[in-house]
Amino acid sequence: MTNDNKSVKNQLDLKELFLKREVWVIFIILVLLTLLFNRSGVNILLTIFIDFAVFAIITMSLNLETGYTGIPQFGRVAAVIIGAFAVGAIPGRIIAMFMGLPYGAEYASDSVNFRLVPEINQLLASSWLISLGFLVFSLLIAAICGAGIGWLISRPAIRLKEGYLGISLLAFGDFFMWVGHNWKGMVGGSVPVSVPDPFRIFAGDRFMVIVLVIFVIAFLVFIYLQKLTRSPFGRSLRMIRDNDLSAGAAGKNIVSVRTQSLVIGSAIAALGGGLYVLYVGSMASIGFTKLTFTFWPWAFMMLGGIGSNLGVLLGVFLLTILRTMIVIFRSQWFGFLLTIGIDPLWLEFTLMGAVIIIVILFMPHGLVPEKVEPMLPKSRVKQIIERRQLARGESSTS
Amino acid sequence: MAPWMASGLIYSSGLALTAGSITLLYIVTRTFNFAVASMATFGFYIAYTGISLYGGLPYQYYPLVFIFGSFLGIVCYFGLNRHLLRRQAAEITLMMSTLGYDLLLLSFIQMYADFLTHTYGLFPRRVTLNVHDFELFGERAAAIILPIVTILLLTLLHFFLTRTRFGVAMRATIENPVLSGASGINSDLVYMVSWVIAGGMASVGGAFMAMAMTGTPTMGMFTIPLMFAGAILGGLTSLYGGILGGFMIGMTEYAGIFYLSQQLGPWVLGYRMGIPLMLMAATLLLFPRGLAGIPLAKLINSLVGKKRGESA
Repeated sequence: MTNDNKSVKNQLDLKELFLKREVWVIFIILVLLTLLFNRSGVNILLTIFIDFAVFAIITMSLNLETGYTGIPQFGRVAAVIIGAFAVGAIPGRIIAMFMGLPYGAEYASDSVNFRLVPEINQLLASSWLISLGFLVFSLLIAAICGAGIGWLISRPAIRLKEGYLGISLLAFGDFFMWVGHNWKGMVGGSVPVSVPDPFRIFAGDRFMVIVLVIFVIAFLVFIYLQKLTRSPFGRSLRMIRDNDLSAGAAGKNIVSVRTQSLVIGSAIAALGGGLYVLYVGSMASIGFTKLTFTFWPWAFMMLGGIGSNLGVLLGVFLLTILRTMIVIFRSQWFGFLLTIGIDPLWLEFTLMGAVIIIVILFMPHGLVPEKVEPMLPKSRVKQIIERRQLARGESSTS
Repeated sequence: MAPWMASGLIYSSGLALTAGSITLLYIVTRTFNFAVASMATFGFYIAYTGISLYGGLPYQYYPLVFIFGSFLGIVCYFGLNRHLLRRQAAEITLMMSTLGYDLLLLSFIQMYADFLTHTYGLFPRRVTLNVHDFELFGERAAAIILPIVTILLLTLLHFFLTRTRFGVAMRATIENPVLSGASGINSDLVYMVSWVIAGGMASVGGAFMAMAMTGTPTMGMFTIPLMFAGAILGGLTSLYGGILGGFMIGMTEYAGIFYLSQQLGPWVLGYRMGIPLMLMAATLLLFPRGLAGIPLAKLINSLVGKKRGESA
């Protein structure tokens, strides 16, 4: 009895230690945020929040595939860009069709597009029902397209070993950017296309509302992934990651489980891409490079801790703040670079590379390492233990 | 020679060297080297700096390019790869670490380009190096010289690996690191030398490729999928396979896009990256172990049939 209590207590202490680390990171984040708020007001905070929320969605999806399943997803940008294409190309066309406006390939040509989209926007601004419908439909179509592309990409590659798989995913990610850049009929090719704005109805508060909406969606994704990774499915994901041989021996269909993980992850990433396009209000496929939408999420994930959703969120937040700080303080802190003509904005890449290297060399598990979580909530486990002990006590006395 | 063939040969030579560099490192250290992208770009910038500041031909700067690439390789080995190899890190961790290094190098390249613009008034963000080329037998000299240089490098490497003591030690380490370590081969040195060679090859490859395409700071970033495609096509098991794979990827890209644009119209030019990727996907589906994985001897044997009296 006393022994059991002791071990439970020890676990609690350990838990507190872990908690302290998280609290520590959150404290740093808050300090940096107040610093930025003091200097540049509320707008910079909103920008950070929106970047955080979009990249949180994308990075969490990456974490599902890489952290939990062990797929080296170096082509995250593919799903993101497909979500962006879907939102840029499909919902606007459907509305244009109902309004009797041109909706074929000419929808995407800039001379037509810049007249069309304001008309659609007027319609959207006139009724909140249509706006809401538009938003929901856009996100839905993004997720569906993302899932489809996730499945398609997984076909040639899913059976391969680690490195091969990562590299083929990387190559496919690039390919989609070039398709978008060259296919004029879809989203304008090299000319950016405007996207109808379902948030127009809020006029002055548009920015606040977008931040709120994306935040809520990011939170829902977080809850969903938390539930998913604790479910039996999540356990088989981890089993396959840690030892695919034994998972196969235990009767798991490795290819199918990995494909499912890839499909779910791609759907979520496409959601992130769609939200990003709705927020920016225009779609330029050349902007979706693997630097921004594959390597940054990797850096976020590695800093936060591979395989820990909470850690990933903290990693995204911390690095997003640092990134924004480079932009804000570029002339103040890095003025010496400007004197020889170097734009301090390139330090963003330095930061990204340095974070990856430092994390790998000095803290391979990230800020918040993955925890081994009990299958049931702690209170439930305690209940079961108590009941067993009670039963044992009764049996021994009788 | 048709114009596409000239540029194709130049481009493929560069791709062959970079793919060979990836393969070499993968064989020796199990590292998929992402940093090839920025090493290649740096190689191009060294050649560009040489030409625009001191004049002359691009070719005379290649030794310098090789040395600089080797330097980048050594830095990566001592700063990063060595510790991870000792820790016996997973393949993905090794890959990620070189990605971090690649991003660092990319930022330095961008800064260097800014520096060149500011200090020397050059325009390093869109460069066509082939204006510095000369004509040889009525062709662009690069189309003749660069494939020859590639073959020469490969021959040198071949002799190094088969005829010198250290080369043989290197091959022993590739085959069985533990056993070679036990028989007194310094595996640390072997890893370092392979980084030196691979870094140099990658940089020279980048300088080659810039003779056929527009050199930009993100040149390597955009072509890295093709370099990997070449390495995968080659099978990642033999250096020669990697070099052949890179060469094939480059040539199919140029020949295929030339043929398709004649058949379908110039709009296909934008999708040129699709051809090598298709080739790579097909390779992965049909021969997951690449060209080197095709059991050629077995196939021939099955065609020829077994000799009478030979045991199975």
